[in-house]
Amino acid sequence: MSILKVEGLSKAYRDVKALDDVTFEFSQGILSFLGPSGCGKTTLLRCIAGLEVPDAGSVYIDDRLQTSISEAIFVPPYDREIGFVFQNYALWPHMTVYNNVAFGLKLRKVSDSVVRRTVEATLDLVGLQQLEERYPSQLSGGQQQRVALARSLTLEPRLILLDEPLSNLDAKLREEMRIELKRLIKKVGISALYVTHDQEEAFVISDTVIVMEKGRVLQYGTPDEIYNRPVNQFVASFIGHSALVDGKLVKVEGKNGLVLVPEFNHVTLACQVPEGATPGDACNLVIRTGEIKLSSRCFDHQDNVLEGFMISREYRGGLTDHRIRVGSREIIVTSHKLCPMINIDEDGGKIFLHIDKSAISLILPDRPRNREQARAGAQP
Amino acid sequence: MATIIWRSLTLAYRQGVFIPLSSSLIAGSLILTPILIVLFQSLTTTRLATFVGFTTENYLRVFTDPEILPMLSNSLVYATGSATLGTVIGGLLAWIVARTNTPGKALVELMPLYPLLMPPIMKNIAWILLLAPKSGILNNMLREGLGIEEQVFNAFSLPAMIWVFGLACVPLGYLFLLPVFLSFDPSLEESAYIAGSRPMNTMVRITFPLALPAFLSTFILNFLRALRSFETPVLQGSPAGINVFVAKVYDSMAIEYNSGLATAYSTLLIALSIAVLWFYVRTTRFSERYATITGKGYRVRVIDIGRWRYVTFFAVFGYFLLGIAAPFAVLIVVSLIPYYDYETFIGFFARMDLSNYHRVLNHPSFVTGLYNSLTLSLATAVVTVMAGIVMAFTIHRTRVYGSKLFEFIGTMPLAFPPLVLAVGLVLVFIRTPLYNSLWALGAGLFVAYFPYALRNASGAIVNIHKELDEAAWVHGARWRHVFFKVTLPLLKPSVAGALFYIFIEAIRNIDVAVLLSAPGSEYGPVTLFDYFRVGQWGEAAAGGVIYLLILIVAVSAAKFVFDVKFSL
Repeated sequence: MSILKVEGLSKAYRDVKALDDVTFEFSQGILSFLGPSGCGKTTLLRCIAGLEVPDAGSVYIDDRLQTSISEAIFVPPYDREIGFVFQNYALWPHMTVYNNVAFGLKLRKVSDSVVRRTVEATLDLVGLQQLEERYPSQLSGGQQQRVALARSLTLEPRLILLDEPLSNLDAKLREEMRIELKRLIKKVGISALYVTHDQEEAFVISDTVIVMEKGRVLQYGTPDEIYNRPVNQFVASFIGHSALVDGKLVKVEGKNGLVLVPEFNHVTLACQVPEGATPGDACNLVIRTGEIKLSSRCFDHQDNVLEGFMISREYRGGLTDHRIRVGSREIIVTSHKLCPMINIDEDGGKIFLHIDKSAISLILPDRPRNREQARAGAQP
Repeated sequence: MATIIWRSLTLAYRQGVFIPLSSSLIAGSLILTPILIVLFQSLTTTRLATFVGFTTENYLRVFTDPEILPMLSNSLVYATGSATLGTVIGGLLAWIVARTNTPGKALVELMPLYPLLMPPIMKNIAWILLLAPKSGILNNMLREGLGIEEQVFNAFSLPAMIWVFGLACVPLGYLFLLPVFLSFDPSLEESAYIAGSRPMNTMVRITFPLALPAFLSTFILNFLRALRSFETPVLQGSPAGINVFVAKVYDSMAIEYNSGLATAYSTLLIALSIAVLWFYVRTTRFSERYATITGKGYRVRVIDIGRWRYVTFFAVFGYFLLGIAAPFAVLIVVSLIPYYDYETFIGFFARMDLSNYHRVLNHPSFVTGLYNSLTLSLATAVVTVMAGIVMAFTIHRTRVYGSKLFEFIGTMPLAFPPLVLAVGLVLVFIRTPLYNSLWALGAGLFVAYFPYALRNASGAIVNIHKELDEAAWVHGARWRHVFFKVTLPLLKPSVAGALFYIFIEAIRNIDVAVLLSAPGSEYGPVTLFDYFRVGQWGEAAAGGVIYLLILIVAVSAAKFVFDVKFSL
């Protein structure tokens, strides 16, 4: 049984396609919609909540049809039994914390004693039991965020939707809150949809991730799958620090292959290849630069060693970014402060880059994630 | 097409916007009907209010009227003159208040606003008493005091019309230009100082030129007000044969009873208003490009003008004197003497009595008119503001196909002089039992003030983040819950402001009421107008003073009891 099923959802604002035939299914846990600004992730969330009416497609929550444009079915948001945490929290400024949280319960004509009990329990859960008489303007950003979460939890929704809930907090608080949020959602035991443009946040908080671009689902999988096996150039470049280079497959043996990279002085790099790849195919290599080892000497017995020249170094506290020229390309390799290479001469010093096969993903061009593949990825 | 409409309606119902949508449709039709009927009627002939056929005869008569060109010229001279006077004095007062070290700041800030309290018709009456050629106070003073036999002042002339309406335009100019001078980015002036320019030189060469677009748009708005104004042209222009469009519409409708002609003149007036409004929209867009207000925080730079600050203080006080104090004093004196002539006026201490007050308070028309204007203004304010909020809610908070059209319909009456709207409503109601009733009058006031209510509500709703509504939706609220529990409480401050503004405007209204009130549905300001026209100046003055006192009580209550912020 899936908690959420989205089929062929499309939505356009004038000529701009915000959602383009989005299809996926989701059973439980926390699912993140990840992508750059304007990729349609918030529109998707709002269509699921019933705050937007899509142009086409359907939405099922808990196997119950909520939206179907072809059948002219649209369950209004107040009947969808969901929770929603808005980016700006959307706390009603004229109501106290207690009244904000009790709002939905009061509308359902629940008895006063039950309302009080439920609100107190929920405020206790989010750690705000002392602040129920305060107004939103008297709370800090983090506290407001908790009130918004408490408000959406009181009604015991089937699904909770969170639209970039941490984006208004400062960096340190954001890191604390994302762990807290995950803990709370898991504790309550409901499923959640989480919109973010921050890859790290998506990976920390979610069980599964959907990467979106231009209104389309590009990849649906676990954080590990998305990080290690991006399906295309966009996903690869959006996720983490990577260098993208063009190459040509020169040899394929089972799951392994050799790729000629003209930009890196025509060296060949060994890596794993996807099914269907044949020698002569043009391809893209995604090299996760955080996994590159640096050394001042070349070890002959190793594969995938590139020779480069140090251009400059940027100190970032615990980490250091090395700008290195390899062939006609400049790549940035990040190393820990304990790495001895940080002492290599900044001005043109020779350096060797050792790249493990597992740090390389090979992408064959023009293989966007289609509808069937996305559906197949329903239980990643 | 039918499927699309049906689907839109189903979705509207599902989204919980059916009630706001239908309420907006009702309000929209009430606005559109008189407007369309004016345009329709101008192209038809009727007999005993029954449609006979289409004709261009009304327009032929209008365009072949030998008075049309003088009328156009009068209208333009009158509107240009009063708009210039109002904008220049208003701008000067705004600059004095915002940028100089004139003493008595708290008083000086408010003085240019007091004249707003006085109903326009009272200003006309007071100035006619002061400037009338033979019986006028000033001409008599000149004759008695200086032996000047010539009638220097003439209340029934274009310059006097410009003077009276121009003074009435000052508060608007002041209100519009004050924020411009208050929020002026000082770095623009500081750059001039660095380049060697002295403060006054900088004012002339930097500040005023940069404020020019704001001056222009204020001028155009005042021009439009003058074009639509009723009291001054009818009371001061018509007696001397100085006709303008509004007076002609009134004469055709109320004196000649020729609705075809009235609507044809109305259409011309509408065309002129729309042209001016279009020009206004263009200028305000242009002004945005001239924006001198940045998001950076800064303090207004106040210039030390030395001894000139006493001159500027008396300039502001002078306007207060001319704008309200002098006319009000004249009205009080005239209301306290049994009949008006110059001798009695000068020796009023000896002749003072309350007979005028006694007469008006025992005159059924005045008492009913006063009661009607109080109750109807209150009702109009409440209904208009609520309808404005519902329509603004429909426009900004629902996504039903075509709901944006309401914005256009709702602001349409702005382009239509209130008298023309009244003409339309007379034609709508004439064959119904509602004709000559308070309902018709209420409808007229509703249509005339709706754009202000809509503009106010739209501005306020746009400022309330949409997510506050959506949060209510997803937590189980239906439209009535969202509206009453979230939107309305958050709109409270601006609702209060709009309520008082419309109440005060409606209670002073004459250009809608003059055609829609009748025996049984009298309206206060129209009663004053009638007193004046039949020469009962004492009663007109006494009624006016009673009115002004009520307004002062209402505004003081708004300000000090309800703490209303007037933002319109």
